[in-house]
Amino acid sequence: MKASILAYGGRRYLWLALLVTAGIAGIYLVHDPQEPPNGGTVLGYTLGAVATALVLWLTAFGIRKRRYHSTQGTVQGWLSAHVYLGLALPLIVLLHAGFQLGPNVHTLAFVLLLLVVASGIVGVWFYANYPARMSHNRGGANRTELLDQLDDIDERSRRAANSLGEDFRDAIASGIARTQLGGTAWSRLTGRDESQVVLPANGGSRVAANAGQEALLDWLADRQARSADAHEGAAIGELSALLRNKRRLLKTLAGDMQLEARLAIWLFAHVPLTAALLAALVVHIVTVFLYW
Amino acid sequence: MKCLVRFITRGAGGAVEHADKVIDTDSLTIGRATDQTLHVRDRRARLQHARIESRDGGHAIVTGALAGVTVNGRSQREATLAPGDEIEVGANLLRVIEPPAGIDFALSFELADDAGEHHLAPAWSAPVRTLAGFGKRRLSWLAAGVVVLLAFAIPALTLLGPGVAKTLRSVPLLPDDSVWLAGDVHRTHASVATECEACHARPFRRVPDAACGACHESHRHAAGSAPPVLGEMRCASCHLEHNEPPQLISEHQGLCGDCHADGPAGTDLPPASDFLDDHPPFRVSLSVPVTTAGTTEWQTERRLLEQARDAERSNLRFDHALHVDEDGVIGPDGRQVLACQDCHRPEPGGARMQPVRMDEHCSGCHELSFDPQDPSRTVPHGDPEGVLQVLIEYYSARLLGDDATNGAQQRLRRPGQALTRADRDRVAAEARAQALTVAADLFERRACVNCHEVTKVQTDAAMPWRVQPVRLTERFFPHARFSHAAHDTDVASCDGCHAASQSGVATDLLLPGMDSCRDCHRQRHRAAQRRRPGRQHLHPVPRLPRPGQAVIPRRVGAAWSALTCARRGWQPYCCRCLRLAAAVPRPLHRALIRRRRRPVAPASARTHQPVSRWRMSRALLPGPRRKPPRAAARQRLPSSTGSATSWPCFA
Repeated sequence: MKASILAYGGRRYLWLALLVTAGIAGIYLVHDPQEPPNGGTVLGYTLGAVATALVLWLTAFGIRKRRYHSTQGTVQGWLSAHVYLGLALPLIVLLHAGFQLGPNVHTLAFVLLLLVVASGIVGVWFYANYPARMSHNRGGANRTELLDQLDDIDERSRRAANSLGEDFRDAIASGIARTQLGGTAWSRLTGRDESQVVLPANGGSRVAANAGQEALLDWLADRQARSADAHEGAAIGELSALLRNKRRLLKTLAGDMQLEARLAIWLFAHVPLTAALLAALVVHIVTVFLYW
Repeated sequence: MKCLVRFITRGAGGAVEHADKVIDTDSLTIGRATDQTLHVRDRRARLQHARIESRDGGHAIVTGALAGVTVNGRSQREATLAPGDEIEVGANLLRVIEPPAGIDFALSFELADDAGEHHLAPAWSAPVRTLAGFGKRRLSWLAAGVVVLLAFAIPALTLLGPGVAKTLRSVPLLPDDSVWLAGDVHRTHASVATECEACHARPFRRVPDAACGACHESHRHAAGSAPPVLGEMRCASCHLEHNEPPQLISEHQGLCGDCHADGPAGTDLPPASDFLDDHPPFRVSLSVPVTTAGTTEWQTERRLLEQARDAERSNLRFDHALHVDEDGVIGPDGRQVLACQDCHRPEPGGARMQPVRMDEHCSGCHELSFDPQDPSRTVPHGDPEGVLQVLIEYYSARLLGDDATNGAQQRLRRPGQALTRADRDRVAAEARAQALTVAADLFERRACVNCHEVTKVQTDAAMPWRVQPVRLTERFFPHARFSHAAHDTDVASCDGCHAASQSGVATDLLLPGMDSCRDCHRQRHRAAQRRRPGRQHLHPVPRLPRPGQAVIPRRVGAAWSALTCARRGWQPYCCRCLRLAAAVPRPLHRALIRRRRRPVAPASARTHQPVSRWRMSRALLPGPRRKPPRAAARQRLPSSTGSATSWPCFA
């Protein structure tokens, strides 16, 4: 990711962004309006138009990446340009405004732009680092394999429980059925294990939180300690070993889920902030000419 | 090889259903790939998991995979199959059964209900689509809606009418059209600062000149005397508001140079494209006396300053050098050292000087007394005929008065006897003769002639002296905008520009030429011209935050301030010693700071404080500290202790 986006095409868009920035900064320094530099000078209007066009083009990336049949450049190239030109945008806007900022809707648009760029930087950082971290977390396996392993363990523990009696069969079955990772975005982001288990208690049953299969393991240990039958004790021990494997596996899967959720979540800032920016941009342009 | 595959499904109630399928093939392939004879929907199965071939009259299962295939619980690369053998393919179980008649090989295949589907997966293997129940699209609409509502829709209500606007502006927390302000208005427009419609009369139209004329109807631009070159330009073409810092009159060189570079067409004005290098010398307006038929009229004459160095025609005789002599000038109380300010007092506001007046500034030394025995009696100033009249009346009264001790009277009159007509005439003639003698002394030797041009007309026996009328030019540069107060600094002394100590005659025109201006303005003007021509060149003393204005964290604030200085072409100066950073050697600077750390008020006490001129001039100049001119200015300085400052310091 890091190599393919940031170093795309020999960093040509980095150079383009630097060139554009340097050129505009140079013109700004040479430009000598009769009034203080602001958005209303010739250069101000020009830079405003450039910045607006750039914002629209950067936003169009959301459309381009969904056009799978488009022949207008590769998505990789677009993304690389999106990143570098997006980083150049705040400076262009500052020069457009002649560094005149204040508590008004115009600066609101600039602040929103900064937030969009900041969330974009976070996104780039996530995409540059998290895939490797996810691979490391999964130990080379892919997620399907991990889920398959989980299913294997579930199946084997189910079989092992079958031979131990009804209590065990029900407990293990409920533990499997109620194994729960994620669900809401928040639990995915925190990587919380929300598993539960129904355990027999005093002739009835109780539902216990079973994060990391702890409740089930405790219950098994208790039953193992009270078991008089050596054979049964050994079988419970095997079952416990399976569940400990499951606990390790769930931990890995939770980490995987968490990292994946983070890869997705920054867009929940980037995209709505972009929408707010577009709205603020329209408001900025309208109000500037409303009170011309 | 004819194979029969029996698909077994278990219903919800435990009922077993099966469906048979006969396949005629050389080898029965099993795998996840769709081209396999027996397609297994199980991720744990390989694409080509295994194949069953007929071999030596029996049947064998073969796989190319290293992991082999599990037959009867054992993983093998190749195995001969017999009825009852069980083959595990992922979660699926294939059992070899006895083939019915006409079939070579038979398998039962129990379909697992969730083969290949992980019950955990649906909870989170799909991408995150919502956050707290909001998808990205919904959040986007929400964010954009909030922005439009607060930044536009509510403030736009002010456009409905003045009543709504007034109400909206008075409601706290509700955004009104002040959020559209791109920058503050100039303080001279403070009265209409919140009423946008006062200038922006119609939406989406530029500010019309009529809006300016509503208040500025008597302005000389509005009165029709605007320069003809303006043409279609509007007031707001030059007088732009809402910039930071607020600035109504641009001092940009281009405003002059654009038209004056070659000398404006149709005028005899010389070219002026650049204040420093291409600017004609000053022209000075002089009052010149023109005498016709004995009466003097004053006319204003415009001359080049450099050619009019000795052209002052005030008709006054005055020696500046004598008056400002370091050893003093002889006055009634002995030698007295005079300073410029003793005669030249600034007007209120400090821009210009008050006129010098005889009765205020000169009479202290230049007494107009004439009788040493009666020094309180003086002749009037500014009225030559009156002088003679006063003298005649004085001496007549002395001769004719009722004073018995007066010897002259005793000589003229006997007691009880009135003066005769002849006696009176004699006395009058004597008084007049005495007055003329004293007047001659006053006019020609002792008083008038010191300062005035006095001529004697022998033919006029009644009043033989003529004093040339005097007029001091009030404004030498009537078109210039110059303030003495702004130049009241340590570097710029009076003598530095006016060279009074070098001038012995009143015809000297003691006015500084352009070079005097350039001496100081050149360097800063150059530096500023490169960036922001016409802008203030020095940092105008740290501005403390206004109430409600965010206090920027120190480091960010310092960086921002430095950026602002660079942008405006201000020379950075130290906020602690208030000296130009470049002007003070660093060791000295450290010593200065040690000597007196500049305190900064605590955040709670910070309020907006007007920049005092004194502090500004302190910022300009190296040199010894002096007391601020006003106690109020001193009180304005923050007085709390603490060395922290949010302004860049070049220590």
